[in-house]
Parts: sequence; structure tokens; C-alpha cells
Amino acid sequence: MIVASSIALIQLDSLKTGKPSVIAVAVGSVAVYAQSATAAVQGAARGAAASVADAPKLAAQNQALRERNRGLRLENARLREALAAAPDAAAIKDTNANFGPGIEATVVGYDPEGLSRTVTLDRGALAGIKSNDGVIDDDGVVGRIVATEPLSSTVLLVIDGASKVPAIVQRGRWWGIATGTNNSVKLEYVSQDAKLKVGDVVVTGEGRSFHAGLSIGTVTRIDHPEGALYQAALVTPSVAFGRLSHVLVVSPNPGAAKPADPSE
Amino acid sequence: MERMKVDVARTRALWTANKPGETAAPAYVPDPPALWGVALALVVALVLQTSLAPWLQVRGARVSFVTLIVAWYALRTGSLHGVTFGLIAGSCEDALAGSTGVAWTFATALVGVACGRLARTWLADTRVTLVPGAALVTLVRDCAFLVLMHAQGLALPLPVVHFHAMLWQSVLDALVALIVLQIFPQLGAARAHRR
Repeated sequence: MIVASSIALIQLDSLKTGKPSVIAVAVGSVAVYAQSATAAVQGAARGAAASVADAPKLAAQNQALRERNRGLRLENARLREALAAAPDAAAIKDTNANFGPGIEATVVGYDPEGLSRTVTLDRGALAGIKSNDGVIDDDGVVGRIVATEPLSSTVLLVIDGASKVPAIVQRGRWWGIATGTNNSVKLEYVSQDAKLKVGDVVVTGEGRSFHAGLSIGTVTRIDHPEGALYQAALVTPSVAFGRLSHVLVVSPNPGAAKPADPSE
Repeated sequence: MERMKVDVARTRALWTANKPGETAAPAYVPDPPALWGVALALVVALVLQTSLAPWLQVRGARVSFVTLIVAWYALRTGSLHGVTFGLIAGSCEDALAGSTGVAWTFATALVGVACGRLARTWLADTRVTLVPGAALVTLVRDCAFLVLMHAQGLALPLPVVHFHAMLWQSVLDALVALIVLQIFPQLGAARAHRR
């Protein structure tokens, strides 16, 4: 009875204060080691299976082509973004100047029940990760940090129903809100005069978690109801959420966490 | 049906002497599962659910081993042990999920209480009720989770999607319960020893 009451009170107290409970910190810190070990075993098993399945020569060739393809895609995306955002070149330059170095992290765990789309990273507050920091990988936007423990942090994926990211259709600079649908992303609140097309690339707008221009996905279906104030579009995310591994945690305002300079 | 009758008769015989208020010494003494074993099972379940999630997913839903373990432990021990174990398991899930507040803590505790209330009835001792019971308990827990999320102001904004996932999760849990009870039939009956 005492144990049950204590657990309930600890949890309710953490809910009231908004800080992680002792239980959450302890479980998060211990679990990250178990999850890291499991992730390492999984990675090793996956690597072993791949090397057995593919002849070494073919695997090397494949890897080289993948790298080249990825480089070309990134270059293509960068050039498209530069072309589309030419009038805002000065603003983009400032943005790039403010873009601080990211924190590399590895995905070691998923939401235990699957009703929300979250993942756990193996880096936490001790590494400098803060709530609302953005998380990206080499394909685009992954999500944002919603909880941090000393040794781990939780990312709300951009496909979660509770996720909302300011977004822009790259071709026409039309604004919208990218909302998760649990499996993909829906671009909502796009003005009716926007001429959306299937295949349009959707990128982030400037927000509290991301700088502008990071890829969210590609439009695959357009919902243009007659008489409605806004149109919407279904977006296929550019990130493969089923095989997330290494990510980068970025903060659009890295200076915000620094103490104020008394000389200023 | 025949098996169910046998199970019911066996459970009645098992617990008749343990009814509350009985003055005679019980003929059978309950032998609850070892806590360390259940705790170990909980740790394994949490690691499986958080590390192998993409491989456990069917139509957006995932097997909840934690629900099954808490329900089974509560059925074998009673409400007090059930609610305590439910609170512990739920706290761990909230800690690992990160964005659910205390929703899993109290939803899982509810499972512990509800199943604990059935601990000394024939419902706890036959596969005929345990398998659909697993589905029902999963649904109840998920509904409690959604209510608690809403109460905390963390409402999940996709009720249809989540209800679909909840239904699939209950089906998957029932399936896992059926498979486990086929492989380990002794888990489907309360352990006891004759005094």
C-alpha cells in the first residue's frame, strides 16, 4: 500500500511541477544502456546479414552509388532551395550564420506502446540537448525534442498527430502547417490560391525548432475542397522513420541557452 | 467447452476453502508467482517494446507485453499487488515514452486493480476467458490512457487513427495470450499447494 501510494504521489508531483520524476530519470538513465546494447546488437545483426546476403564487391559498388546518389540529391535540393529563395538570400545567409553546430545522437528506443510516434536518443541534457530542439537526419526533418533526461531524450516525430511544424511549399513559397497523421504528414492551412502539384517539395519554415529550408517531404495528394478557406495536401516524409539510426539535434537559437554577458 | 467445465470445477475446489470469512484453515494455500520473475519479465517486455518496435508493429499497432504481464500478475495475486505492479510498470512506460505525463502509470494501475478483483474467481483460471479477457483489458487500458491524456491536456488529436490502433493492439494481445497459454498451459491456472 505504501509503495503504491508513493509511486502515485511521485508521478503526480512530477506532473504538477512539469519536471521529470525520480522514477522517470532513473528508468530513463538505466534504460538507455539496455536500449543502446540492444541497438548495437541489432545493428551488428543487420550488418552481418547484409554482408552475407551481398557479395562484397556488389555491396561496395552499391554503397558507392548510394553515396553518390545521396550527394547529388542533397546538391539538387540545395540548388532548388537557393533558386526558389533567391529574393530571401540575405535572410538565408543570416540564418546560416546563426545555425549552430548540431549534436550527433543515435536512436536507441521507440515508444513502448506505439500510440504516439516518439523515439529515444542516447544523448540528453548533459550533452546540451534542450526541449524543442529540432532533430534532423541526412534526408530531412525527423522531429523535435519533447523531453530530456540527463542521459537520454525523447523526440516527437514529425508524423505524430501532436506534431505541428511551420512549412513552405518550395516551388511557390506557399505557407502551411505540417501536421502528423501517424504514418505520414498532412500539409494544412495552405491558401486556396496556391497552385499545388503532386511532387512539390515541402520544406520547413523558420520556427522555434528548425531553420527554414529543411526537407519535410513530397506532396503526393492534394485535397482542394470547393468553398473551403484552405486546401490541404498529403506529404510523404523524406525520412524513413522505420529505420532511423543516426540523427543530428539542432537548435535554431543556440545562443538562447548561454548565460548573458555581463559586459553587455 | 469440456475443458472449461474442468477448469471451472478445479478453480471452485481450489478456492472454496479460501473464501473471505471462512474460519476453517484453507485446504489450499495460494502460491503467487515470484516477484523477481515477474519483474524480470517486465524488464524484458519493456526492452522488447522499445527496441524492437518496428518489427512488432502490425497495421500501426504493437503487442503490449506489459499489459499482459500486469494483468496476469494481478490475476494471480490480487488487487493490492496488482495495482502496485501496475503503477511500477506504468511509470516505466511513461518514463520511456517521454510525452505521456502519467497516463500509462494510472491506466496500467487500473488494469492491476481490475484484474486483481478477479483473482479468486474461475474467470482467472480458464483460457476460455483469459484470451478474450486479454483483448478486453488492452482496450480498457488504452481507453483509460486516452482519457488520462485528455485530462492532462495532452490529448491525442487523431481519435480514429488511435482507436484503429487500439483495436488492433487488443487483437494482437489476445493472439499472444492464446499462443503463450498453448505453449505454457500452466500459466492459465492459479498455482496453489495443499496445506
